[in-house]
Amino acid sequence: MSLLAQQLVLAILLGGVYVAVAIGFSLVWGILNIINLSHGAFIVVGAYITWTLFGRLGLDPFLSLPIDAAALFALGYLLQRGLINRVIRAPVFFTLLLTFGVNLAIVNLLLAVFTSDFRSVTPPYAGSGIVLGPVVIPSIRLAAFAIALLLAALLSLLMRRTRIGAAIQAVASDRDAAQLVGIDLRHTYALTYGIGAACAGVAGGLLSTVQAISPTAGEPYTLQAFVVVVLGGLGSVTATVVGGLLFGLIEVFGQSAPGLGAGYANAIAFAVLVIVLIVRPQGLLGR
Amino acid sequence: MRSRVLGVVTVAAVALFTLLPLTTTDPARAMGLPALLDRSQLRGLTTISMFVVLTSAWNIIGGLAGYPSFGNVAFFGLGAYATALLTDPDHGHLPLGVGLLASPLVPAVVALVVGFPLLRLRGHYFSIATLGTAIAFGEVINNMDFLGGATGLFPPIIRSDLLFYYLMFGAAALTVGVTWWIMRSRLGHGLVAIRENEEAAAVLGVDTTRYKIIAFVVAAALTGLAGGVFAGWNSFVNRDNVFPVDYSVQMILMAVIGGSGTISGPVVGAVGLEALIQLLAGGSGVYTQILLGVLLAVTVIFLPRGVIDFVIGRSRLTLAHFRRSLRQTSV
Repeated sequence: MSLLAQQLVLAILLGGVYVAVAIGFSLVWGILNIINLSHGAFIVVGAYITWTLFGRLGLDPFLSLPIDAAALFALGYLLQRGLINRVIRAPVFFTLLLTFGVNLAIVNLLLAVFTSDFRSVTPPYAGSGIVLGPVVIPSIRLAAFAIALLLAALLSLLMRRTRIGAAIQAVASDRDAAQLVGIDLRHTYALTYGIGAACAGVAGGLLSTVQAISPTAGEPYTLQAFVVVVLGGLGSVTATVVGGLLFGLIEVFGQSAPGLGAGYANAIAFAVLVIVLIVRPQGLLGR
Repeated sequence: MRSRVLGVVTVAAVALFTLLPLTTTDPARAMGLPALLDRSQLRGLTTISMFVVLTSAWNIIGGLAGYPSFGNVAFFGLGAYATALLTDPDHGHLPLGVGLLASPLVPAVVALVVGFPLLRLRGHYFSIATLGTAIAFGEVINNMDFLGGATGLFPPIIRSDLLFYYLMFGAAALTVGVTWWIMRSRLGHGLVAIRENEEAAAVLGVDTTRYKIIAFVVAAALTGLAGGVFAGWNSFVNRDNVFPVDYSVQMILMAVIGGSGTISGPVVGAVGLEALIQLLAGGSGVYTQILLGVLLAVTVIFLPRGVIDFVIGRSRLTLAHFRRSLRQTSV
């Protein structure tokens, strides 16, 4: 019983990480109709920024999150403005390929700079936890969970309450009409992609505190983000949060199913993906 | 005129790549002919032929039918494992010829089974679902003890680079031949109709599900054959060398750079890019990969129809052409 409770707690906390991983991906997909295959690489870049600042300057990993966000926003904005805007009206296959090319370049640049060694960020409070009867809640994971939900809330506010959010939604629903009322398309696209990348940066900073990172660690994150978005449904922050939490549960309990194990993590994720795509392609909360 | 030039080039290339490796054999030496290739170049040509198979086979489902699979490497891996399992002395211990017969069959059956759900998906969904399927296959096989687990399988070593060159070259010729045949047949026209507008194709009486499945199965079988030959050639098969996601991406990149949806485009892309990769292999793999990434971006932005379109299509090497092409896709 206590094992089950412990697993449940870990699954929910893991779900929070998936929310962070998927939220920017979901935004870019929903608004720009781009499957951003460089999303995982952005996450890893964020993780390396946190790792570098922690290792070199001793900066607390949670304090470096705004820096991750700002750096990745800049990178994302420039990529969209300079490259992706050039093929945004081409068939979706081309944006998929372009972001894959960007992913390949970033991952290998990271390999050239940081080598393929695994790195981890271990602040002094890394091992501490809150004991609640038979269940232990690791404090870092709890903090990461809280920040992930905060990020989701902030993004939701941004989209609903600000002029930028209104412009982004206008562009998503009707490009030409948005242009007629004076919205700068190129800038708005780049902003959207930049915000998506900034979310990835924060996710990377969070991930560096809960697992070891390496330049090639990004690909599974992209795939997980995809599964989460498909699971929850496209088009709202709430759907991504639900999808992320659900995916955390599926992964933790799927791996403890008889005959399966940690070696089957991706296989489980994709079995879920294919089943959802076939049974309910719009996702649980999709329109 | 252009098609005649292309025909002559094709015949000349086939003759050259059939005869050139013969100069490495003993009879040719005995006749006093100079060896025009060394062993590493012959192995390089085998790898190039392998990518011609993978790229041209991808083109059947990705280029002709317009279903860009990101998981074709699964068929390569399944074909390799089929051959390896049958020929490994600890398992089947059968001759290579028997093992090679299984290499297209196993992936074809798998493609038939997974094709029904996967080919109902479109666009992004199809691409990522195929990518996931490939990763899942690799992972499951990696966990199967009777398939050697993470250690893999070991087909007997056959020391003949020439044999494997001709097997791979034959597979490449077969793949291009099959593509040529498909493009002239009802199937090919049906696939192009599906790519351009699936609903319209269905209304016009194209049995879209059947056509897509056939294309997927044919692509899987040919890809699997290359995997089988690779297994015999490499005499070592595990997840890391026959299920690399990189291959899925390389075949797409080669097809797109060359010109997908044509016969010659994928061949040109595979030969050109793989030759480039081999030339650069002296340097660090990391920088080759960075270059591939940049090349992918440049191709997508500037050459969406591939380089072959400058030869057989409407693209022209002029600034105005690039400007127009960019304007069509930018905001």
